[in-house]
Amino acid sequence: MWEYKKRLEYPVKIKNPNAALAKVIISQLGGPDGEVGAAMRYLSQRYTAPCNEVKAILSDVGTEELAHMEIVSAILYQLTKGLSVKEIKESGFDTYFVDHTTGIYPQAASGTPFSALTFQSTGDPITDLSEDLAAEQRARLTYDNILRLVDDPDVRDPIKFLREREVVHFQRFGEGLRMVQDQLDAKNFYAFNPSFDL
Amino acid sequence: MTAKNKLLCKVRQYYFAMVDSSLYLDSHPICKDGLAYFKKYKKLYEEAKEEYEKDYGPLDFENGIKEDKWAWATEPWPWEGSEN
Repeated sequence: MWEYKKRLEYPVKIKNPNAALAKVIISQLGGPDGEVGAAMRYLSQRYTAPCNEVKAILSDVGTEELAHMEIVSAILYQLTKGLSVKEIKESGFDTYFVDHTTGIYPQAASGTPFSALTFQSTGDPITDLSEDLAAEQRARLTYDNILRLVDDPDVRDPIKFLREREVVHFQRFGEGLRMVQDQLDAKNFYAFNPSFDL
Repeated sequence: MTAKNKLLCKVRQYYFAMVDSSLYLDSHPICKDGLAYFKKYKKLYEEAKEEYEKDYGPLDFENGIKEDKWAWATEPWPWEGSEN
């Protein structure tokens, strides 16, 4: 089960709405390496993880990703609050506005809606954890690109926090992968040992 | 920064120290330093959260009742930006 804590993991207080920034930052909600996909990936994979420590990492990182969905959504909400139709048209946000007004919808910056095709849950811990390591790097680089595109310090601050968390999660998944590999048959030097046939 | 904001900031920082160290402990479950760090921030978090909820309103739904009202629903939500 889950419980909601009525506060953000990291504060978001944006003084100047700017829909052009929301247009690119939305990719970290519902894009190919966004927080919705991250949460769904880890929370789907955890059931068949081979040891309790890896189940813990997938559960706890997956839970933190839900908090990150909320931070990105809060950024999008505040960036698009109180804008005039003229500002929406000039920022290029009109192509989103026509379908969603200023509702928060998980999609990529390109407009493609969130898809579960962006992640896997294979039942094979080495395959899953290798994907998780790559996923954390992909999310980190998306945040790097957002930081290249955004000047407003009110927006950069929570984005920097989210970027740091990708680095920490990568570290933890690396430790999880090492634990799984340590438990493999010592003769299996290709580090390949699907859990289904064990 | 208001007194309310300062206290919420403490709650958030202490809880974040717990979140971050819990991930570390997942892969280092018998690390003495890690366990001591978690314990230290859990205590600080519980004290700060109790003080905040007493003075300003619920952060967890089980403390949702304040002055004969379901304050959980009636107080502002965190993405609004004013107090989050």
